[in-house]
Formats: sequence, structure tokens, C-alpha cells
Amino acid sequence: MAEVVLRNLAKSFGTTQAVRDVSFTVPDGAFVVLLGPTGAGKTTLLRLIAGLERPDCGEIMIAGRPVASDTPAERNVAMVFQQYSLYPHMSVRDNLAFPLRSPMLRTPEPEIALKVRAVAETLKIAHKLDNKATALSGGEMQRVSIGRALVRAPSIYLMDEPLSSLDAKLRTDLRVELKRIQTSLGATFLYVTHDQIEAMTMATHVGVLDEGRLVQFGTPREIYETPASLYVAGRLGLPRMNMLPAALFAGAPPGAQTIGLRPENIVQGTGRPARVVRIEHLGDQTRLHLVFDGHEIVTLTDPHTGLEPGDLVPIEPMNPLYFDADGARIARGDY
Amino acid sequence: MSHLNMDSVARATPRHLSRRIRGLSDRAIAWVFVAPTIFLLLAVNIFPLIWTIRLSFTNYAANRPNAEVQWIGLRNYERILSDPDTWATMQATAHFLFWTIVFQVMIGFALAWLINQKFRGNDLWTTIIVLPMMLSPAVVGNFWTLLYQPQLGLFNSIVGFFSGADPTSFSMIGDVHLAPWSIVIVDTWMWTPFVMLICLAGLRSIPDSIYEAAECDRASRWRQFWTITVPMVLPFLMLAVLFRGIENFKMFDLVVQLTGGGPGNITTLTSIELKREAFEKWRTGYSSAYAVILFVTVFGLASIYVKALNRVKDR
Repeated sequence: MAEVVLRNLAKSFGTTQAVRDVSFTVPDGAFVVLLGPTGAGKTTLLRLIAGLERPDCGEIMIAGRPVASDTPAERNVAMVFQQYSLYPHMSVRDNLAFPLRSPMLRTPEPEIALKVRAVAETLKIAHKLDNKATALSGGEMQRVSIGRALVRAPSIYLMDEPLSSLDAKLRTDLRVELKRIQTSLGATFLYVTHDQIEAMTMATHVGVLDEGRLVQFGTPREIYETPASLYVAGRLGLPRMNMLPAALFAGAPPGAQTIGLRPENIVQGTGRPARVVRIEHLGDQTRLHLVFDGHEIVTLTDPHTGLEPGDLVPIEPMNPLYFDADGARIARGDY
Repeated sequence: MSHLNMDSVARATPRHLSRRIRGLSDRAIAWVFVAPTIFLLLAVNIFPLIWTIRLSFTNYAANRPNAEVQWIGLRNYERILSDPDTWATMQATAHFLFWTIVFQVMIGFALAWLINQKFRGNDLWTTIIVLPMMLSPAVVGNFWTLLYQPQLGLFNSIVGFFSGADPTSFSMIGDVHLAPWSIVIVDTWMWTPFVMLICLAGLRSIPDSIYEAAECDRASRWRQFWTITVPMVLPFLMLAVLFRGIENFKMFDLVVQLTGGGPGNITTLTSIELKREAFEKWRTGYSSAYAVILFVTVFGLASIYVKALNRVKDR
């Protein structure tokens, strides 16, 4: 496993600037999650590190060695593609064994058989080993794709939304399993996802991308509790952060344009009244949709709440975040 | 109420109306469409086939329609299969078939692979390469006889230039050793583009992402070629071989134009021999038996081949 350093990386496709001046370090053994909407440059970053794209400028170092001129094989990275990219004419067994049969590894066949079986069992596809790769469901294909990466020990695992097409239960199981594998191997992961639960539970570091630019890099807690901007604040949290005019509540610092309130940062029982519009019982949480001074607010409440639509409930912000007119957060020390 | 409305809408559609007027069921309408095709197939394919099989057991001669036709059983078949000329013809056909397929597959695949590399102007090159297959076989046969001319033929001049041999010292069409190769060269020149196009379709059906995955899996270009490109193009390649095999088994026009089956009988392919028996010697019964033997051979070989092809596709 190795540390991966990106310095001032940029890449454009025609007139589209996919990655702009991105610099960060994936520490050895870290699990870094990249967050961002479609087109933010997450996949391009993975492809740049893998060597599937050449950067326009900037530097990539793997294990302290610049790899700009290296082929993907020389970089020794394992990548899980969003669209699986299985070898359709091969069986599941041969797909999983393919990386181990690389002449660069020279793995003996008995060892390959053992490793393939172990990975297949971990990913619950051992019963499909002799199936053709195309005769699988979407979820099974994705597991084979993950298995093809896990079967060897590369410098870094690059994963592009690897759990996106799995059902909820399998996604949870594999999420735990991937994290367990990462921890036990001490492996370095760079992982792209849209799923905030994956980001929060698996990541040691989160990088948030916006139109090719890295807008914040930190621990999941930092990203969640002290987002650098409204954009970052909107990427984590479910229900999403309530973003309201700062003047709606008293105590806004000078220059504040927007107040950001996480659903759990709204105290009920004191303050000014809001009208209940809808109550959603989700089992593990109950969401309360309110209208406050003409603005919609979503917060959480007691699962056994007696509130009904139309009721009035007093609310008050607690530990709010303030953002200026450009969307940048105003640091707490400033108010 | 909605039922009534739906009924009235349905009743107003022209299709429904026309069916009601004709009083035909869906099945009957299907037969109306299919019947002409079935009739045509029976008239031009099935009937002649059965008629040929029947004639193959007789001594019928089409140029003597009033002569008595005798039922001679399997004698035509016995004579054909025991005739050394038949086997010489088969051998010439096998030589032509084998080498044209080998060359066309090798060169066609190599060309497709080159064209599939992303370079400027590859569309133009594709168009230039496919030009030969757009020409008429009669035209191709004619101008290749000129190219093969020992005195002024371009082919002889080029071979002479590279080998140092005197261009007038050999005749591709007139020499018994070279004539079989002369027809192989022309057919390869004409039909390699066809194989190339099929291979190109196969190569372009392989997504780039599979090669990217292989690169990440540390496969060299060589390994990618043998473990991804070749297996994934193989079904396409086998299809091209099937098409060219069937086509070349019944090759006639090009070879007749080039060599006329000569010198001697050295390039007399089965189709040429069949035509001679049927329309020069007018041994209709004998040639019918010959045709049946060829049909069974091609049909049998093609069936076995298609089974193999399906196995490769289902791998």
C-alpha cells in the first residue's frame, strides 16, 4: 500500500475543464471518499491516478515516486469501474483470476485458485464462479468487478461508485465488508460515491469537488460540522441542511446572508412558532416538515410524536452556521 | 360509459373497420402476407431441389427432351464418385477454398486492426480498401488477366522488380503450378475487404472500458490482444469464414473469366465442372447427381460449422 500525492493536477477535454488545480494527499492506509455531483471531475481524477488519462499539468506521486510517464500496469493500481467492465467472454472465475495471471505477478495457479475462492466467498459470489460474466445480475457483476480489484494487493484501490447498483441490504453488507478489508489490510482507498452514508461510515477523509475544483478536504466530521461553503454543506447530511435567509432569526453576524441549520440543530419547544405541514415516519427517524415565515424547514422529531399537520410548534436554531453572499462560511470566531 | 367510449373509438379506426369488412381473422391475415413468399420459395427453391434429386437417378438429357428417360438408380453417383476427374476438381476447389480463406482472414483481420487504430483519415482508407469488393467479378477477372500478362502486366513487372526475375519468364495464368495461385490472389484481392469489414465490426463492438480494465489489471498489449481482442472478435471472424466458404465453394464467374478452368483442368472448380456437364455436355441426370453431391457437402459442412460458431458465441 502507498501514499498518493496529487499536486496542481489539471485536465481538460476540449473546452471542458474537468479537473482544475487539484492538490491533496491520500495518506498510506487512508480511505478517502470523493463527493460531488455528476460532472464534478471525480471519475476523471480516478482515471488520472490510474494512468488512463494524461494530466494537462500537475504531478501524481505514488509511494513517493512520480508516475506521470508510467502505464497503468506500472502504477500498480486496482480500479473498480462504475460500468463494471467485466470480460464478457470469460467466466466469473477467469475474470477474478485475470489480474493474478499477469506476467508481472507470476502467481502460481494453486495460489490463484485459493485467492479467487476467498474473494468470491467474501463477496458472496462463490456459487457463480463458473457462470459466464454476462449471465449475472447487475449486482453480481458489480461484485465481480470489486472482486477483481480485491484479489490482489495494489498500491491503491480506486473505486468509482462500486456499490451503486446493489440492493440496500447487500450495499450495507458490502460497505461493512469493504471497510473491514481496508482496515485489516491497511489498504489505501480512493472511493467515489454519491451516498453520504458510505462517505460518513467508511471515509477517513472526504474531498468535495465542484466543477473540477477541490473545494474542501478533511475528515467526515469536519466536512459535516464546519463546511467551507453552502455548496459543501449541501453535499452531506440527510435530510439536507436547511438554508434560510440569515435575517429570519436573531443573532446573525455582520455580512451573513444565509443561515444553515442541520435538521438536528433546530430546537423545538422554544422560540417562534412554525406550522407542521407533513410528518414522515421512516422507522429509524421521524421527519417533520414545517413552514416558518413562509420558508420550508425539515427537522427531526420524536418517533412517537403527537404532532399533526396544522399544529404549531415553536422552534429556535442551535449552533447555526452562517454564510456570506458568496456562499462562504463565516468562521465561528467572527461572530 | 368508458367501455362504450372505447368501443366507439376502436370501431372508428380504419384497421378495425377493414378487418370487419373482410371478415378475416388475424391468423388469416398473417397467411395472406406470408403465402406469396411461401409460394415463391416452393416454386424457385424447393421444387427445383426435389426435381434435381429426381433427375439425378435418371439418364435425362435436357437437349433431347423426347428421348426415353431411364431410371438408373445410383449409377450417376457411382460414376461421379469413382471418376478421378471429380476428385481432381474437388482438390482444386479445396486448394482455392483453403488458401483464399487463410489469406483473407489473416490480411482482413490485420487490416481491420490497423483501421481500428485511431488515426487521421482512417475513414478514407476504409473506403479505398473496400473498393475491390464493389466491382463486378467479370470486370475484375478481365483486368486481372491484363495484370497477369507476362509482357505488359503490372503484376509480373512488380514481381520481377522485387525478385529480380524476368517478368516475361513466367505466366501466372498459363503455368500449371502458378494458375491455382493466380485465382487465389485475385479472390483474396477482391474479398479481403469484406472480411476486414466484418472484423472491424467485431473490433468496434469491444468497448474501450474493457481494455482500460485490462490495463489496470496489468495485462500487456500482447496479452490484451490474445485474451480479449481475439476471443471477442472470433465469432465475427467465424461468420466471415462461413460467408466466404459458401461463396467460394460455388465460385464461378471470376475463375471462368480469369483462367476458364485451365491450363488443362488445373483451375476447374466444381461449379465450373458442373456447368460443363450440365450445359456443354448436356448430361442433365449426371450433373443433377453432381449438384446433389455438392449441395450435401456444402450443407453438411456449413451445418457443422454453424454449430461450432454457436458454441463459440455462447462461450
